[in-house]
Amino acid sequence: MRLPAVAPVAAALLLLPAAGGALTPEETDRVVRNIDDMERSGGDYKALAYMEAKEKDKTDVVYELLAYRRSGDQKLMFLFLEPKAEAGKGYLRIEKNLWFYDPRVGRWERRTERERIGGTDTRRGDLDESRLAEEYAARWEADEKLGRFEVHRILLTARPGVDVAFPTVRLWVNKENGVVLKRQDLALSGRLMRTSFYPRWKKVFSESKKGDVWYAEEMRIYDEVEKANQTLILVKSVDTAPLPANLFTKAWLESKSR
Amino acid sequence: MLATDLHIAARNLARHTRRNLLLASAIAGVTALLVLLGGLTTGMREAMLQSATTLMTGHVNLAGFFKITSGTAAPIVAGWEKPWDEVKGTIPELAWAAPRGRGWAKAVAEGGSMDLVLAGVELAREPGFQGVVQVVEGSLQDLATPGTILLFQDQAKRLGVKPGDSLTLSAPTTRGASNTADVRVAAVARNIGLLSAFNAFIPAETLRQLYQLKAGTTGAVQIYLKDPADSAVVAARLRDALRAAGWRVMDPDPQPYWQKLMFKVNSEDWTGQKLDVTTWEDEMSFLSWIVTAVTWLGNVLVTVLLVIVAVGIVNTLAIAIRERTREIGTLRAIGMQRAQVLRLTLLEAFLLGLGGATGGALLGALAAAGLNAAAIELPETMQYFLLQRDLHLALHPGQVATYVAFVAALTTLAAVWPSAYAARMRPVTAMHHAG
Repeated sequence: MRLPAVAPVAAALLLLPAAGGALTPEETDRVVRNIDDMERSGGDYKALAYMEAKEKDKTDVVYELLAYRRSGDQKLMFLFLEPKAEAGKGYLRIEKNLWFYDPRVGRWERRTERERIGGTDTRRGDLDESRLAEEYAARWEADEKLGRFEVHRILLTARPGVDVAFPTVRLWVNKENGVVLKRQDLALSGRLMRTSFYPRWKKVFSESKKGDVWYAEEMRIYDEVEKANQTLILVKSVDTAPLPANLFTKAWLESKSR
Repeated sequence: MLATDLHIAARNLARHTRRNLLLASAIAGVTALLVLLGGLTTGMREAMLQSATTLMTGHVNLAGFFKITSGTAAPIVAGWEKPWDEVKGTIPELAWAAPRGRGWAKAVAEGGSMDLVLAGVELAREPGFQGVVQVVEGSLQDLATPGTILLFQDQAKRLGVKPGDSLTLSAPTTRGASNTADVRVAAVARNIGLLSAFNAFIPAETLRQLYQLKAGTTGAVQIYLKDPADSAVVAARLRDALRAAGWRVMDPDPQPYWQKLMFKVNSEDWTGQKLDVTTWEDEMSFLSWIVTAVTWLGNVLVTVLLVIVAVGIVNTLAIAIRERTREIGTLRAIGMQRAQVLRLTLLEAFLLGLGGATGGALLGALAAAGLNAAAIELPETMQYFLLQRDLHLALHPGQVATYVAFVAALTTLAAVWPSAYAARMRPVTAMHHAG
């Protein structure tokens, strides 16, 4: 049975405190957990994504890739389709290891999960399921306005022993529907590394989750160290239907470039 | 007997002053060219060795990799003093050693950005550093202050910075978390070819902060030997000593550490610390083609030159002997044996070759000294590959002596056929020769 589309938003609204007051630690944790829940697919997930990378003194490059996820065992795979030079390359996460495959050399290389995807400012986490509550401890900073939106500003600090690309993250969470509108990623030194904006959110019904899966249809990532660099990610054609059982394997990814 | 023959040979040479002077000049010219060419190739190789072993590697390196997880490797040796203290006694060839941090970061300044291979240095421990790195702006001593960086001219130009300016270094720590360090440009050094295109130096402490490493952690202990030729022997001995002391040591693999990090270590299933002993030749193997090319080019040029010289000597001696046919006939008529004639003419050629080669070697050495003193700047493209800015010719007495002996021997050898021809002549025929 398909649930009404407004149900998650209503749930989110119930979780959120009344405007104007500081969030307690418990309320802050609930807001962060809600972000994870909204984005969780609860099963399989497939999306077509476009990444446009702009770098200073370089030609803009547009990548087209397929992202595959399976919630149960945290499987993840990216397969590059465009440009031609990148076609067939891919990333595959097996347990806690992220592997990179380059069909030109026919070799698998183990990479860190914090790797820049395709050398752009995109990180694995931008296209993976949100695990903010698991990876970070949250602290409410302020309630404020972001443009015309009422938002909670929340500071996330990496939990001890958890390896993340950015040890500190600041989120601007829409009070109305619980989605993230803006995110700042900070380095260990405290320096601001990236600012991301999520102007468009969409949702798709997932049979396995028995509810909607929210995803940012558009992400604009601005490099704050090399100011001229930015990446635009557009997520299209999201599908939550079950994927073939043997999909998340090295053999499958290799077969795509033969 | 030999002394008498030498005396006669010398007198014969003195009697044909003009012709012999011409021949000796040709031999001298060739020897001088040989000396200069040898000095050039040796100079290039020595400059490359010196630059590379200062900028990137020791003669031998006690390095290694630490893997927090099987998929996350870092080119570090945690607590480097312990393994070093255990094995340094096994290196009597040791001149000095210093820890050197290894890293990589993106440098971002107002004017631009670029990837840099970072070396964490402790200047006080590195006596050879100042001899190779020539500062053109700023102060090398400032590099001892944490939060500074030494760049090379092209890097400073690309980033648009000068001493006193700041730039940001951005790199992931060994655990993969993003980190940055703001550093001030302490000095800008003269370019040293290819290696200075991507290498930059920061204080070891600043590198440790950027990568969140504990004190006592370094990239490699760079070991400098009294004679770099002992590198391979010392490296093998170090591996054995480290294994005997209970350390996990990687098998020899002639690749630079960054190639191992990118293509090998990350794919291996182990965690913790493994030590890796390498030589400067291993670390510079990605540049070995330059040394090979220079050596081959030198060898080809020298061979061509020697063939030309040998043909010239044979020809000139043949003419000289033809001119002296009647003289040889007379000598044979008054009782000189064929073997004596052969020995006499060979001795003349040997004396001529020795004298010409010695003079040429002196001339070449003087020219080399003059060129070194003139400090001629190499074209930029040559600087890039030859790792030196000014033309430098390296001459070693042993090498020069070898050239002299070689040319003298070659001259003597070239005289065998004309001498044998002279010795074979019948006295009557020779005396009637009209030439």
